[in-house]
Amino acid sequence: MHHMKKILFLFACALLLVACSSNNEGSKGTDGSTNAGADKGASSNSSSSDELVIAVNENFISMDPHNTGDTNSNAVQAAMLEGLLGFDNDGKITKVLAEDYSVSEDALEYTFKLRQGVKFHDGEAFNAEAVKVNIERITNDEKLRLYSRGFNLIKSVEILNEYEIKVTLTEPYGPMITRFGVAKMISPKHIKENLEEIPKVPVGTGPYKFVEWVQGDHLTMERFDEYWDGNDRVAKVTFKPVPENGSRVAMLKTGEAHAIYPVPAQNMPELESNSDVKVTTVPSTIARYVSLNTFKEPLNNEKVRQALNYAVNKEAFIKVVNSGLGTQLDSIIPSKTVYYKQQTSFAYDVEKAKALLAEAGYPDGFEIEIWGNTNSDTMKGMQFIQQQLAPIGVKVDIKSMEEGTLSDEIYGAQTPEEAKLMMWYVSWSSYASDVTNATKPLFHSTSFPPNSANTAYYNNPMADKLMDEANSTSDQAKQAELYAQLQEEVYADAPWIFLGVDEIVYGVRSNVSGVEVGPGGAISVQNAKID
Amino acid sequence: MSTTVIDSKKAQQPAAQYSPLKEFWRNYKKKKVALIASVFIFLLIVIAFIGPYIAPYDPYEPNYDAILEGPSAAHFAGTDEYGRDIFSRLLVGTKISLTVSFSAVFLGLIAGTILGLISGYFGGRVDKVIMRCCDVFFSFPDLLLAIAIVAILGPGINNVIIAVMIFSVPSFARLVRGATLSAKENVYVEAAKSMGASHTRIIFKHIFPETISELIIFVTMRVGTAILAASGLSFLGLGASPETPEWGVMLSSGRDYLGTASHVVLMPGIAIFLTVLAFNLIGDGLRDVLDPKIKNS
Repeated sequence: MHHMKKILFLFACALLLVACSSNNEGSKGTDGSTNAGADKGASSNSSSSDELVIAVNENFISMDPHNTGDTNSNAVQAAMLEGLLGFDNDGKITKVLAEDYSVSEDALEYTFKLRQGVKFHDGEAFNAEAVKVNIERITNDEKLRLYSRGFNLIKSVEILNEYEIKVTLTEPYGPMITRFGVAKMISPKHIKENLEEIPKVPVGTGPYKFVEWVQGDHLTMERFDEYWDGNDRVAKVTFKPVPENGSRVAMLKTGEAHAIYPVPAQNMPELESNSDVKVTTVPSTIARYVSLNTFKEPLNNEKVRQALNYAVNKEAFIKVVNSGLGTQLDSIIPSKTVYYKQQTSFAYDVEKAKALLAEAGYPDGFEIEIWGNTNSDTMKGMQFIQQQLAPIGVKVDIKSMEEGTLSDEIYGAQTPEEAKLMMWYVSWSSYASDVTNATKPLFHSTSFPPNSANTAYYNNPMADKLMDEANSTSDQAKQAELYAQLQEEVYADAPWIFLGVDEIVYGVRSNVSGVEVGPGGAISVQNAKID
Repeated sequence: MSTTVIDSKKAQQPAAQYSPLKEFWRNYKKKKVALIASVFIFLLIVIAFIGPYIAPYDPYEPNYDAILEGPSAAHFAGTDEYGRDIFSRLLVGTKISLTVSFSAVFLGLIAGTILGLISGYFGGRVDKVIMRCCDVFFSFPDLLLAIAIVAILGPGINNVIIAVMIFSVPSFARLVRGATLSAKENVYVEAAKSMGASHTRIIFKHIFPETISELIIFVTMRVGTAILAASGLSFLGLGASPETPEWGVMLSSGRDYLGTASHVVLMPGIAIFLTVLAFNLIGDGLRDVLDPKIKNS
C-alpha cells in the first residue's frame, strides 16, 4: 500500500517536472494535485504592496479547525478562524470572541459572554446558537474523537440569551479553559450545509477570508472588511509551503516572500547582514527528543536508557544541529511551559554511559534503528545521535521516511507488541499554558499509538495517577505540585533521550510590519502591513 | 623523393605483423583529451583501492570544534557540518561511486547483451517481445524509472545498483540487437550455419565479437550516466545512508550551507563533475578510434 502511494506520488512529481522542463505550460497551476513546492510560484507572483507572501517549511494538512494536529495548518487557520478565547505570544489566555467568561467554584460550569456585532465570512451572525452548533459538532462527530479531549466531558450546552452561553461538564477538567482557546468557531451554516467541505474551505470570523487553496502550492486569503476589530491590515495574504531550506531563504532575499518561517539556523549569519531583512528569534515551547521504546529490549532496561542519555553531548547538539540556537531540554517539558521544574540533567559522561550499559548486560553495546522524517534538520539530528552513540558501542541505523509513511508505520501499530519503532527523532510543541497537552499524550499509558503520541510506550501507574489528579483539579498550587512530582518521576526513568528546546527563528522583509511567530510556531498576520 | 618513402611505408605495413590492439593504441594516442581523461580515471581507480589507507583523517570521525571550516593546510577541502574532513571523505567515497556505477553498468551490459543477441539472431516473435518490452522501459526517463524502482525495493546502495542496471538493460539490448542484425548477414555466419554449428556457438563465437567495439564505447559513456544517476538517487535520499561518504550524499547534506560554507557542496560537486566528464571524454575518444564510420572519414 505504501509503495503504491509512493509510486503514484513520484509519478505525479515526475509528470510535473516534465511539464516544467518543457517550458510551454501556461495553465499548469490549476489542477493543484501535485507537489510543486519551491520552484513554481516564481512566475505568477505579483508581490504588489497589498499582497503579503509567507513561505513556510511544510504543507498544510487540513483546514478543519476541529481536526488539526500540525502547527502549520493551525498557523494558517488562525488568520481566518477565531475561538471564544485565544493565546497571546506568551501563551497566556486572551479573550477573543468571548467578551468575558467565568468559571464556577466547582470548576464544572463555564459561562461565556459573547462579543456582539461579529459576523462570519458568509454573513451569518455570531451568537450563542453558533457556539452551540460548534461545540455539538466537536462532541458528536465520531471522526473528531481524538481531538475532542475535554469536550467529551461536556454534559450540556445552555443558551442563556443571544449573547450568553453556559457549558456544564460532568467532571472537573483542569485544562478545559485552554481547550476553549483551541476550538475555533466555524459558521453554523457552513457546518449544516457543507460538512464535507470543512477540511478544505474554512469559514470563520477571522480578519481574513478564505480565497483558494491549491494543495502543495499556495493558500490565499483576503481581508474581511466586516471584521469586528477594524481592517487596518494588508489586503491579501498568501501562504506557500516551501520545504527546501535554500529556496525559502532565497525567496526572502529576493523579496518573492515577505516573511519566511522557519529560517534555517545556518542561514542566519547571511540574513542578519542583509539590511532588507529582519531576523527574529523567540524562545519556543518546542521540545526536541528521541523517544525510546520502553516496552522492548534493550530499551526496556532503565539503565540502557540512562546510558543513552549520558552518552549524548547536549551542548554539542545545540552547537552542531541547531547552529548554537536554543537551550537544553532539562525536564520532560520546555522551560516556557507552565509548572516547568528544572531537573538535574544527564550530564555528558561517556564512561558512565559505558558502565551503565555494562551493568545492564550490554558491555559491547547493540544495534538499533532510529526513525525520522526526511527533513534536512531531522537527518542532521539523527546523524548526530548516531555519532554520539558510536563510542559506547551502540550502532545506530538511520531510517528516514517520508512524513506520511512514517506516521503510518508508527500509528499503524495497534498494540505495543506490534510496534516496530525503537527510537524516533521528533519534536513536540504545545501552548505554554497547556501543560496537559505537553504531558498526557506523551507519557500516559492510555496514550499509546494509535490513540495518541506516547511512542515511548511509557507505562508508569504512578505517573498516570499524577496526570489524572492534576487534570481533575483546577487548584493551581495543587497542579504545580503534582506536575513537579511528575517531571521528577518521568525524567529519571528516561523514556526519551532529552535533547533541546528549539529557538524559533523567522525572517521578515524590513518594509513589512506586524508579522509575528509565537513560541508554539503559530504565525500571526492580523496586524500585517507593507510599506 | 618523399612520395617514394610514403609508398614504401604503405607497402610494408601489411607485411608487418598486424595487431588490432596496436593499431588502436596508435590512433588513441593522438586523442590528447581522451588520453588525459584516461589517466584521470586510472588514478581514480587507484584511489578507489588505496583511498582508505591514504586518507589523512577518519572519514566518519566528527570533530565538533572544527565545523564548516574552509579549505586549509590541515583540511585540503575543508570540513563539513560535523567537522569531518571532506578530502578524506572524497577519497573513501571514490570507491563507493565507482563500485556502484561499474557494477550497475556491467550487470546491465551482461543482461542487455544476451537479450540483444537473442533478439537480433532469432528475430520474429522473440525479437518483437523483447523489443516491445525495451520500448516500455524507454518510455520512462532514466532517473524517474530508477526512482520508481528504488521506491519499490526500498532505499540502499544495493538497490541503487539494481535500479541503474535495470534502466541500462534496454539500451544495451537495442544496441547489440542492431549490431547482431548486420553481423548475421555475413557470409561466414552462413558458412558456420551450413557446417552445422549450434546457435550458441554462432552467437558467441561469430556474432558477439562483432558487437564488442560498439559495446566498449557505450559502456564508457554509460558509466558516466550511472555515476550521475547513483549520485542523484543518493542526493534525493534514496541511495546510500546519510553518514556514508558517497558523493551524492555529501552534496545533499551540504546544500543547506550553500550560502555560508559553499565548499561543502563544491568539493563533491567537482568530484562528480570531473569523473563524469572524464568518462564521457574517453567515450568520445574511443568512438573516434573504433567506430568504422568515423574512422574512415
